[in-house]
Amino acid sequence: MAVYIDINRCIGCRSCEVACQRVHGGHGHINVHYVREYAAVPVLCHHCQEAGCTMVCFTGALHKEGECTAFDVEKCTGCGLCALACPFGVVWTDKIAHKCDLCQGREEGPACIATCPANALSDDFDLATRRARERAVRAAAVGGKR
Amino acid sequence: MTKVLVPTVCPYCGAGCGFYVAAEREKAIGIEYMLDHPVSQGALCAKGNAALEILYHPDRLTSPLKRRGEGWARISWQEALDLVAKGLGQARKKHGPRSLAFLSSSKCSNEDNYLMQKLARLLGSPHIDNCARLCHAPSVVGLNKTLGAAGMTNPIPDIASSRCIFIIGSNLAENHPVISRWVHRAKDRGAMVIVADPRATPTSWMADVFLQLEPGTDVALLNGMAHVIINEGLINREYIAQKTKGFEALSRAVKDFTPQRTAEITGIAPEDIVRAARAYATSPASAILYSMGITQHSTGTDNVQSISNLALICGQMGRPGTGVMPLRGQNNVQGACDMGALAEFYPGYKKADDPNTIRYFREAWNAPDLPPGPGLTATEMIEAAGAGEIKAMYIMGEDPANSDPCSEHARRSLESLDFLVVQDIFMTATAQLADVVLPGAVWAEKEGSFTNTERRVQWSHKAIEPPGEARSDRGIICDVARSLGLQFDYPDAASVLAEINRTVPQYAGILRERLEGSSLVWPCPTVDHPGTPILHRSGFNLAEGRASLIPVPFSPAAEAASRNHPFILTTGRVAVHHNAGSMTRRSPSLISREPDLFVEMNREDAAALDVEDGDEVRVATARGETAAYARLTDRLKKGVVFMPFHFPGTNILTTDAIDPEARIPEFKVCACNVFRRD
Ligand code: SF4
Ligand code: SF4
Repeated sequence: MAVYIDINRCIGCRSCEVACQRVHGGHGHINVHYVREYAAVPVLCHHCQEAGCTMVCFTGALHKEGECTAFDVEKCTGCGLCALACPFGVVWTDKIAHKCDLCQGREEGPACIATCPANALSDDFDLATRRARERAVRAAAVGGKR
Repeated sequence: MTKVLVPTVCPYCGAGCGFYVAAEREKAIGIEYMLDHPVSQGALCAKGNAALEILYHPDRLTSPLKRRGEGWARISWQEALDLVAKGLGQARKKHGPRSLAFLSSSKCSNEDNYLMQKLARLLGSPHIDNCARLCHAPSVVGLNKTLGAAGMTNPIPDIASSRCIFIIGSNLAENHPVISRWVHRAKDRGAMVIVADPRATPTSWMADVFLQLEPGTDVALLNGMAHVIINEGLINREYIAQKTKGFEALSRAVKDFTPQRTAEITGIAPEDIVRAARAYATSPASAILYSMGITQHSTGTDNVQSISNLALICGQMGRPGTGVMPLRGQNNVQGACDMGALAEFYPGYKKADDPNTIRYFREAWNAPDLPPGPGLTATEMIEAAGAGEIKAMYIMGEDPANSDPCSEHARRSLESLDFLVVQDIFMTATAQLADVVLPGAVWAEKEGSFTNTERRVQWSHKAIEPPGEARSDRGIICDVARSLGLQFDYPDAASVLAEINRTVPQYAGILRERLEGSSLVWPCPTVDHPGTPILHRSGFNLAEGRASLIPVPFSPAAEAASRNHPFILTTGRVAVHHNAGSMTRRSPSLISREPDLFVEMNREDAAALDVEDGDEVRVATARGETAAYARLTDRLKKGVVFMPFHFPGTNILTTDAIDPEARIPEFKVCACNVFRRD
C-alpha cells in the first residue's frame, strides 16, 4: 500500500502537511508543491517496489516490508545516503532519516488520507483513474458539458 | 488515568467540522478525526489540525488584568468584577443606558451570545452587535427581504446532488476547505462548476467556467446572467408565477444588461457570461455558493439580492441540490445572529423596532423596561465612541482595533472611551486599549452549542479546564451581570439552552439531550421535529408565501482607481490563517507556512514598477500605508492587487465606505498605490 494522489482534486490547502507533522512529533513527511498558480501536488514516499533508499542503506534501517518501504530507527546512523538516492526527494535526514511510515500504529490508517478536505488522497491505487473514467462516461452520456 | 475522547466542534470556520480532543490527566494530548461527522466525515483543514496549538500558548491570558500606567497589573476576579460594575454602572448612571455598547462574538457559543445580548438589553442598551456585521450583514438583511430567512437554504452535503454549482465571491477551497469535497463529489456525478472571482484561486481550479470579473462588478454580472436567462426564455415560468412577486420590474431592470454591456463592465468575455447563464438556468438542480466577495461591498445587500433574483427566476430553490448558500466565516456567525446579538434583531430575528417584540421579551425575561432597536452596529459603535456618544464598552472575543476597516481610526475611537472591558483569550490589539481585561476560555475549555453555516446546531463538549484563573465566557457574563445587580442564574450552558428553547422559536425543539451524539438543523419548532435541512420547500415566510424579486441597479464601488492610486486592492484569506489571525498567527505550524504579510500583483504591473518577487514594497491608500512582500502572480488581472487580512497591516488601508442598508464596510475594493521600498 501507498498513498495515492488525485491531482484533479488537490486544492493545495496543506492540511496533509500539518496533520502529518502533528502525528509524527513535528516531523512531516508530506510536502505540498505548487505548480505556479495553477495546481498543487503533494509529494511523499511512493513506497517504490525497487526502492533506491533501501538499496543504499547499508545498515538495513530502510528496508522493504511487503509493499511498504519501512524504517527501523534503531539501525539508522543518519548518514544521509538515502536522501541522495531517493529520486523523488521525499526522504530527509537531520540526526536520523525521516520518511513516510504510512502512519504505522495508527489503526485508522494514514492521517493525511483521513484529513484531506478534498478527498484527494487515498490508498486505492485505481481511484483517481476510476473517477476520471466515470466523469468521462457521464459527460458523454449527456452530450458533453455545455 | 486513561485517555478520553471528547467530541468538540472546530473553533475556526463556519463549516463546523467535528473532531475529538484526546484528553489525559486534564491535558489535551491530541486530535482524533470524527469519521461519522455529517459535514467533514473525518476531514479537517490545516487550521483544524493545528487547533490544539493555541490551548497551551504562553500568550494565553490567565488572570484578570487592569491597566496600571503603561503596563498591566494582575488582579483578582473580585476586583475585576468590581471595576467592571463600576465602569459600566457609572457610565449608565451619568450618561444613560444608551451610552453603553456591547460587542458579542461569533466565535463564542449560542449560550454566550444569548447571555451577552440579554445583558445589554436588560441594562437598557440597544447597542449590541457582533462581527457578522463585517462579514454577512448583507445576507441577513438581503435574504430576509427576498426569501424571508437568512441562512443557507440547503445543507453542505446536499451540494453533492447539485448539477451546476455557481460559486461567486468565495474562495471556499482555502476558506472552507472541507466544502470542496462536496463540490468534487458533485463533479464526479457530472456537475458543472462555475466560479466568479477577480482572482484565480484553488477554488477556480475546480471550475469548468471561470469568470474573472473586475472587483465590485458582481451586480452587473448577475444582472447580465438574468438578462440572458429571461431573453432566451430559460426562466421557470411556473415557479415565478406561483412563488414570487416582482418579476415584471426585475425583467425591466435587467433589460439593458446585454452580454455585450455586461462584458464591458465586468471584463468577462460575453460568451462566457452566456455559457454560465445557460448552464445555471437549464441544469436540473443548480446551487449558488457565495461568501465575503459578495457581501463585503458598499453594494453588499444589492449583490445578495441579485443572487437571490437569479435563483428565483430559474426556480432553483427548495429542492435538493439547489439553493442560495452564504458560507459563513466564523464557527458561530450563524448562531450569534440567531441569538439576537445584532443591532436590529432580538433573539430569533424578532425585529427590534417592533413593539410586539419588546412586549414578548418583557414578559419572557420578566423585565419591565427593554430598549427598542435598532441599536448601533459594530462599525457605528466605534464611530459613536469616537464622537463621545458611547462612553463605555464591553467587548467579548472580537478585535475591532485590528479587524475593522481603517483600523487606525477604530483604535483612536476606542481610546476615547471612559471605560473599556475586553474579554478574550489573548492580548489582542483591542485588549491593549482596555481598562480591564478578562481572561476567557477557548472552545475545548467550555461547553455549549454552536450553529454552523448550514444552520446545524452541534454541542461541543468541555475537554479540559481553562488555564490559570481564566473562566468560561458564560460564567464571566453571569458574574458581570450579577455584579451589576441583575438576576443571572445559569449554572451551566444547558440551562441557557433551555431558555433559548423557550424564547427562540427556531430552536424550540433543539433540546440539550437531543444534541448528544447528534446534531439538528433549525428551524426545529417542536421536540419531535427532525429539523429542516432544506428551506423554502413549499413557499416563503413572507406575505402570500411569495419570495420578492427586487430589481437591483448596478452602481460601481465607492472607490475607483485614480492617478494617485492606480491599483484596486482587494482582500481575502489564505488557507492556513483565519480572520484577524490572533489564533492562527500564534500557531507554529500555521504561521511557519505563511509568516508575513504579502501583496499579490500581476507580473506586468510589477515589471513596470521594477518590483521583483519577494521584494519588500509599500502599499498606500488615502487612509495609510503598510509594508508587505511582493508576490508576483498571474492570478490577478492587471491593475488589481490582493492582500490577506490576517495581519495588522491590511486594514490600515481599507476604506470605511459602507453599504447603506447592511452597514458592512467595503473591504473588497479600494484604490491603492504600490511603491518600491527604496
Ligand atoms: S490535504 Fe489534500 S487537498 Fe490539501 S494539500 Fe494535501 S492533498 Fe492537497
Ligand atoms: S474547514 Fe473550517 S471547520 Fe473544518 S477544520 Fe477547517 S477551519 Fe475547522
